[in-house]
Amino acid sequence: MALWVLLVGLACGPCAAQPDWPNDESQIKAAFLYKFAGYVDWPEGFLGSVETPFTIGVLGADPIADELVQIVQGRKIHSRSIVVSRLKAGDPLEDVAILFVGKGDAARLKPVRGTLQAQPILVVTEEPAGLALGGMINFLLVDRHVRFEVALAPVEKSGLRLSSRLLAVAQRVHAEGR
Amino acid sequence: MLNAIARSLRHKFALAMLAATFVSLSVAGTALALYELQAYKQNVTSDLLTQAEILGRATGPALAFDDHKSAEENLSLLETRRQIRAAAIYNARGKMVAQYRGAGAHAEHKVPALPEADGVRLQDGELVVFKRILENKEIVGTVYMSADYELAQRFRGYLGILASVMGLSLLVAAGMSAWLQSALTKPILAVTNVARQVTERKDFSLRVQKTTKDELGYLADAFNDMLSEIGRRAEDLETANRALEREAQERRRADQDVRQLNAELEQRVSQRTLQLETANQELESFSYSVSHDLRAPLRWIVGFSEALMEDHGANLDDEARRKIQIIQNEGRRMGVLIDDLLAFSRLGRRALKVSDVEMGVLVLATWNALKEREDFSRVQLHIGAMPVATGDRVLLGQVWTNLLSNALKFSSKQENPRIEIGAITDDQEHIFFVRDNGAGFNPKYKAKLFGVFQRLHDTSEFPGTGVGLALVQRIVHRHGGRVWADGNLGEGATFYFTVPRESRDGAV
Repeated sequence: MALWVLLVGLACGPCAAQPDWPNDESQIKAAFLYKFAGYVDWPEGFLGSVETPFTIGVLGADPIADELVQIVQGRKIHSRSIVVSRLKAGDPLEDVAILFVGKGDAARLKPVRGTLQAQPILVVTEEPAGLALGGMINFLLVDRHVRFEVALAPVEKSGLRLSSRLLAVAQRVHAEGR
Repeated sequence: MLNAIARSLRHKFALAMLAATFVSLSVAGTALALYELQAYKQNVTSDLLTQAEILGRATGPALAFDDHKSAEENLSLLETRRQIRAAAIYNARGKMVAQYRGAGAHAEHKVPALPEADGVRLQDGELVVFKRILENKEIVGTVYMSADYELAQRFRGYLGILASVMGLSLLVAAGMSAWLQSALTKPILAVTNVARQVTERKDFSLRVQKTTKDELGYLADAFNDMLSEIGRRAEDLETANRALEREAQERRRADQDVRQLNAELEQRVSQRTLQLETANQELESFSYSVSHDLRAPLRWIVGFSEALMEDHGANLDDEARRKIQIIQNEGRRMGVLIDDLLAFSRLGRRALKVSDVEMGVLVLATWNALKEREDFSRVQLHIGAMPVATGDRVLLGQVWTNLLSNALKFSSKQENPRIEIGAITDDQEHIFFVRDNGAGFNPKYKAKLFGVFQRLHDTSEFPGTGVGLALVQRIVHRHGGRVWADGNLGEGATFYFTVPRESRDGAV
């Protein structure tokens, strides 16, 4: 039992202080963002060498960025250390592997949608029209639980590969982008 | 039952077949069951581990993204696996997020509220596994599964199969043995049957029918040959027996004849003996009375010739006196002769008075008595060690007297007469001897020495009546002994007589 507690502690360092799964939406979304990386394959060479940090860009969602910084501490994605990059509108998307676009900022995606989709960047949004605006994964709230939906078309265009296991737990999977 | 098995080859055969089947099946069945149970355990364990692994993998994303519904859906897939009794998914912090109960699960079956350490273990007849779920190298939860583990039931099932297979096999084996028996044991039983009949009826003309061409057939042939051989031998034996019996009968008859003849002979012998004894007695009494009666006239002859000499001697011339003297001498000699004959014939009638006799003393007494009559100072006498003999003292004294006077008489003409007396004793008898260096005798007449009136020398040369040695022989014979003599003319003589150590009252 002691081992189990230890394991839990290790596994869930950032959330150990909380008695239950974090209700806080930002915290959950930050955790999901981190976890998505495990089910996605980037094209070879895009992530650079192992020394190059894995960058998650967060646009206009500081609470989530804050949580994310906590979560990624000491963790690795695809054998790389993780960097959380807080972006503002107009910032270049250099080295960004995952781009999270906060509520209200998704509209900005639409103009750059073509450019974005030419690059293997996983775009995650959190509003009802997120996928239509160019998002690949979009957070939803179902029965007060955070869930997500996936649009396959933009993913395929970008050259990313999503694990079917991820799709299995998605609330909805759209074959075509909106 | 046991007796029947012990007696009959048929039962033994069947029993051997059944036993072999039973043993081989038991061994094979046990080995198979053990192997199968071992395999079953391994299979169930690895199966359960694999399922837990698959379930964990499938449920990983659901846990990662906190999707309980998806986890429950995954669990419900276990419905196809009937042996799974219960399953559960716990999240990273040990909280159960989904559970499943199989159709075969008991109502009281409880899914553990908290996950336990990884591993497989047996618990209350079911196999329980806990398996951590890893997603991207992080533990996201735990799978719990419990499955039927019914080793005993399986073992019972196996035993059932084994028992039915064995029963069937034994039935088949029994059938086979019955079938093989007719092929194998029938010829043997036929031989046995004939053997029994032969033993009971002594009929060697019976034969076994040969049905096969294998060893059993050979056995039947050999048995038949043996029977005919035995039959022939028995016949020969019977013939020989009959001949023997005939021979024995003949022998018995011959034996009987011989016995009859013997009996007749014996009867005749006893008759003759009786006649002889009677004749002997008559003869003895005759000779006694004759001797007795002869004495009176002799006395007259001697007495009157003496009176003639006394009364008329002066008137007679020398020639007449010489002749009268001759008449007197011969008359006296005749008297001695008659006395000897009387003594001899008395001996046949007199009973022996047996006692221990010191022979040395007896010999000396005899010698002294003889010395009184005549002067033997010239004679050299040598007496050896003498034993004590058993016999009639008076008669033995007579023997010594006769032998000694005999020796003295025949050695009297030697310059240095020498007489030697001795004894030799063996385990049966005493042998006494008297040796002299006198005139001896011609060995040719040895047989005549001991006869009455048999004389080897002229009376003028050595006086004597010819009765002495006959008397010696008679006395010794009455004591159960023997007499004989050795000697040569002019070289002296040795007279022997024996007395048995065991006294016996023999009769002439």
